[in-house]
Amino acid sequence: MFILRSIFVEPWPFWAGGVIIGLLVPLLYYYFNTALGVSTGYGNLVKIFLPAKNLQWIKTKYVETFSWRVYFIIGIILGGLLSSILSGNLGITTEMGRFTAIAQWPGVLNAVFFFAGGILLGLGARIAGGCTSGHSIHGIANLHISSILATIFFIIGGIIAANIVRSLFLGGAW
Amino acid sequence: MNKKSGFLVFGVLFGFALSRVGASEYDLIVGMFTGQDYTLVGVMVTAIIVGALGMQVLKKFAQPVKSGEPLKISYKELNKWSIPGGLIFGLGWGISGACPGTVLAQIGEGKIFGLFTFAGMICGTYIYARLKENNSEL
Repeated sequence: MFILRSIFVEPWPFWAGGVIIGLLVPLLYYYFNTALGVSTGYGNLVKIFLPAKNLQWIKTKYVETFSWRVYFIIGIILGGLLSSILSGNLGITTEMGRFTAIAQWPGVLNAVFFFAGGILLGLGARIAGGCTSGHSIHGIANLHISSILATIFFIIGGIIAANIVRSLFLGGAW
Repeated sequence: MNKKSGFLVFGVLFGFALSRVGASEYDLIVGMFTGQDYTLVGVMVTAIIVGALGMQVLKKFAQPVKSGEPLKISYKELNKWSIPGGLIFGLGWGISGACPGTVLAQIGEGKIFGLFTFAGMICGTYIYARLKENNSEL
């Protein structure tokens, strides 16, 4: 029972998550000859949620609207849901770690802040040709130079933004 | 197992793992950039090493892949766009405390503001599609 509890109820040590996520790279190639990657699927979501059917890029790259990429996205959401059900942490929350705990902004401003971050994520991922999973994990595991370069700049951007937010809105220390 | 149900199952596994190691926590993502918590660096480095070893095993012992096709590794050409795109993505990563995969786990866990990051990502992808209309090399 201890082992079941460690897997399904307790938080995992970092290496356990790393092993599972890393194994997805060869497993997805073995079963589906497909690279691990999440951000490309947001193009499917654009086609589903926004009036974009006439945009050339959407038309040519996203022929099948509900492709396997959408199923992967739904799966990840369900995985997060399952994890919080099993660990007993399920519940709708307006908390976002130290940000909401310290900044104490009204909800609308928080929404704008995270929405703005999301715009940069979506735009940047497409310009760079991938995100943390496609470039930083799949790409580096395959020693792709473009992925190593993109990841270096992911990290530089992250360091800049996180430290600016920390000093402007979170009092510098926490 | 067809591709759609397969990716649904692997997606659940991915989301579960992300959630269990805390990759869906704002504090851990931002903490890795401010030097306060390196848990997720450990997760990513482990994942890269395991992924790299797994790919070597796959190339040696599991070819062709299950369907009988030869292994086809997807490769993105090295180009200058990795730099501005990487920087823009990184800024979004540090602001929202999420990335395209972990924001989905946040939503599954019930984090309301994750929905706004998610909506922003869809709009950011839409902006890219619009920009690409006039700039095909993007």
